[in-house]
Amino acid sequence: MVMTTHEEKMRTVRFRVGATPHIVVNSEICRNECSVHACVYVCPANLFVPLDDGGILFNYEQCFECGTCYIACNQEGAIRWSYPDGGYGVTFRES
Amino acid sequence: MRIAVCLKYVPDPSTIEVDPLTGMIDIGRVLYMMNPADESALELALRLRPPDGTVTVFSVGPIEADRLLQDALAAGADAALRVWDDALGSLKPIVTTTLLAAALRVKALPDLVLCGGHSVDRGSGTVPALLAEHLDWPVVTDVTQFEIQSGRLRARRRLARGARAESEVTLPAILGLETGLVHLRQASLPNLMRVKYTPIPLYGLEELGLSPQDLHFPAMTLHEVMPPRPRARMMFTPDVGGSVQERVAQIMSAGVAGKAGKILESGTPEQQADAIIAFLCQRGFLEQPT
Amino acid sequence: MTTHPANQQFDVIVVGAGPAGSAAALLVARAGLKVLLLERGEYPGAKNVSGAVFYGSAILNELIPNWWEQAPVERPVCRRDIAFMSPTTAVALDFRCAGAGFATAPYNGFTVLRPKFDRWLAAQAEAAGAFVLTSAVVDDVLRENGRIVGVRVRREQGEIYGKVVIACDGVNSFLAKKAGLQREFHPHELSLGVKEVLGLDPAIIQDRFHLTDNDGIAYEYLGAITEDVHGGAFLYTNRDSLSLGVIGQVSSLVERRKRPYELLERFKAHPAVAPLVRGGKLREYSAHLIPESGWAMKPKLYTDGMLVAGDAAGFCLAAGLYLEGMNYAMQSGLAAAETAILACQKGNFSARTLSVYQKNLKQRHVSTDFRAYRHAPSFVNGPRLQNLYPEMVAQGMEQIFRVDGAPKRKILPLAYRMVRQSSIKPGQLLRDVYQVARAYLW
Ligand SMILES: Cc1cc2nc3c(=O)[nH]c(=O)nc-3n(C[C@H](O)[C@H](O)[C@H](O)COP(=O)(O)OP(=O)(O)OC[C@H]3O[C@@H](n4cnc5c(N)ncnc54)[C@H](O)[C@@H]3O)c2cc1C
Ligand code: SF4
Ligand code: SF4
Repeated sequence: MVMTTHEEKMRTVRFRVGATPHIVVNSEICRNECSVHACVYVCPANLFVPLDDGGILFNYEQCFECGTCYIACNQEGAIRWSYPDGGYGVTFRES
Repeated sequence: MRIAVCLKYVPDPSTIEVDPLTGMIDIGRVLYMMNPADESALELALRLRPPDGTVTVFSVGPIEADRLLQDALAAGADAALRVWDDALGSLKPIVTTTLLAAALRVKALPDLVLCGGHSVDRGSGTVPALLAEHLDWPVVTDVTQFEIQSGRLRARRRLARGARAESEVTLPAILGLETGLVHLRQASLPNLMRVKYTPIPLYGLEELGLSPQDLHFPAMTLHEVMPPRPRARMMFTPDVGGSVQERVAQIMSAGVAGKAGKILESGTPEQQADAIIAFLCQRGFLEQPT
Repeated sequence: MTTHPANQQFDVIVVGAGPAGSAAALLVARAGLKVLLLERGEYPGAKNVSGAVFYGSAILNELIPNWWEQAPVERPVCRRDIAFMSPTTAVALDFRCAGAGFATAPYNGFTVLRPKFDRWLAAQAEAAGAFVLTSAVVDDVLRENGRIVGVRVRREQGEIYGKVVIACDGVNSFLAKKAGLQREFHPHELSLGVKEVLGLDPAIIQDRFHLTDNDGIAYEYLGAITEDVHGGAFLYTNRDSLSLGVIGQVSSLVERRKRPYELLERFKAHPAVAPLVRGGKLREYSAHLIPESGWAMKPKLYTDGMLVAGDAAGFCLAAGLYLEGMNYAMQSGLAAAETAILACQKGNFSARTLSVYQKNLKQRHVSTDFRAYRHAPSFVNGPRLQNLYPEMVAQGMEQIFRVDGAPKRKILPLAYRMVRQSSIKPGQLLRDVYQVARAYLW
């Protein structure tokens, strides 16, 4: 269990999923204006899935709320970023 | 109208980690929460409450469960009550419901009791029915929707294999609600702050007028929890006694016809219950009553 | 100032229950003032990630004598290792100290698990009289006549008023941005840390790391461990687990198209690391940003009615030899608290009164340390220190130790030859030596 896949890693994290997404990606901008797709590489939760048409599929449920995607994204307005509602989102137990 | 909601303090299943070697749960890593089905029950109760009505929340659980009752107060419940006694060991549903019934009586019986149908930890789903037995009230389980009109409650139920049913009962009554119907509302900031240091009244056995004997039920021991195992696939073999047509028909229906059940339609509920017990005894599921 | 309902009016509102916020709230509460500590997590620490070695033992000891006897600490750190890595080798500096202050009170540092430690620290603030409210995410500051008079919590009727707001909301510091004190960050100013906690039997930990009793060790790694991504790695011992992680500059992760969790796997597979983590069982994976640029990303630290402390103010020393943020968070939180207390005594909350904060930071060695190390981050993140030098050291050692029948070369000629063979120009080397010295020696 020392070498682990990303899925195995994510399974150790507890998320209390809020009713509304705290991060929204405007796939239109990803498709038309971004060639780097930085978010795909940097997100430690691997939540940005590149689509064939150049857009991005994003699911907010298993997010660490770290802010890396927001910092790395080079396109104004592509990511609308905020924290989840109080008490929701990731809950670390030992980190 | 006075509504009671039963809330259970449960471990979040995603935080339960069983050591594959020892079979033990790592208690230090378990996080607790309000049982999701109970959470929707509370939200429905708050929506249903008329201007002159009340919602009271009940929980049987250790001191940590106070947090959950405070959350319920912050969301808008009018009163809360926790039941616990150091004499209590592990809680079987029958014990929990005995305590809950006593607690409901302490507060003067309500018109409607809402429970989450299943808890995520044990999930026996027996609490609403056992509570109904204690109070001698009608109960509707697996409820997905309901409405109340002039003292009568109409409930829609979700049954196995996608079937649905509608039932009607008169109040007072008990409902067991499906999980995930609605999200509990976010409390306002003033409410959240107000309840932070609100003490929750605690009722022990004595306050409930119970003695340890009242909670003494035939012992049941949990020996082992086994993970689900895929069922061995069995080839359907038609009944050799039948005619060719019958056998072909049986094969074509993949044996579904062979699983015929029996629907009890006639008789009083008591007679029907007796018939079921007789059936179970006959099949060896229950011991013959002596 | 308009009056607000009594229960909605505090002397001080602290946002964020990390080490900065809880220390601040504790001190303000002890001064007998009405303080509200707001935290967005389900409990304090639920959102927080560090390595974590807490080097603030002496600071906390002043507030809570013998704090380690009641706090959830893992192990006192009595050994520190710095390892320079090439893909297959490692050269380590090993510092052991059983002497005063490391293995004995007040201790130099402890490994901690943040969700437990932060929760405990916030409880101390609460015990001192602070109102600690969790599940409360702050979205904005409230202003009246241009000055900050409170914050808005994302809940119905979420406005809440305080004479001073102390923003301790961590690296993303939305509050400082909303108050106009901080700008947006660049990807080269922040690093992403990904971390794992691996469960391991305490007896194995003691044997494997040659530790007596409950003592602990902290390893920092430089060089090939992060491949060509600028960053480093760490491995710390807890009581019955290891904390280990990889840190990578965000801009260089993007440039090199590296996924952080894959770097983490490579780190664990490195021949110098694999034997240390063998048999560990994954307990938790986590990720968090680090403000790497220190002094260069310091916001304006105060304005009318508000102060900024901790990571939110960039007070995190993450530069090669050091990975220290919790201690500076605590120090700056305390300096902010002292400032807020003074302002309450004076009844004046203007930027002018609050400017005492700068003096308080100096007294607590925060600004002096960060000024002193202001050159370290950019140098540490330079390509040569990141990759070339650690690798050269590691390879040089390999050649010194290799016995293969070829004539043994003395160290200086060997080093000379390695520099000649590498792409480094002698002038550059001299400049780098100067820079190391400037970053760390004077
Ligand atoms: C991988 C990694 C390893 C590290 N290792 C070490 C180490 O070994 N030693 C060390 O000293 N430092 C280490 N650090 C740095 C250290 O973690 C930080 O410097 C330190 O946590 C800063 O403390 P803080 O109180 O300023 O902020 P934080 O600890 O980040 O606390 C901020 C708090 O504010 C809350 N919050 C944020 N926004 C809001 C909002 N809008 N409303 C309400 N609440 C909010 C958060 O939930 C959080 O509780 C490490 C960092 C990382 C990422
Ligand atoms: S980096 Fe930004 S713009 Fe580019 S794909 Fe990702 S979210 Fe879209
Ligand atoms: S905040 Fe962090 S974990 Fe969440 S989507 Fe962005 S990069 Fe991924």
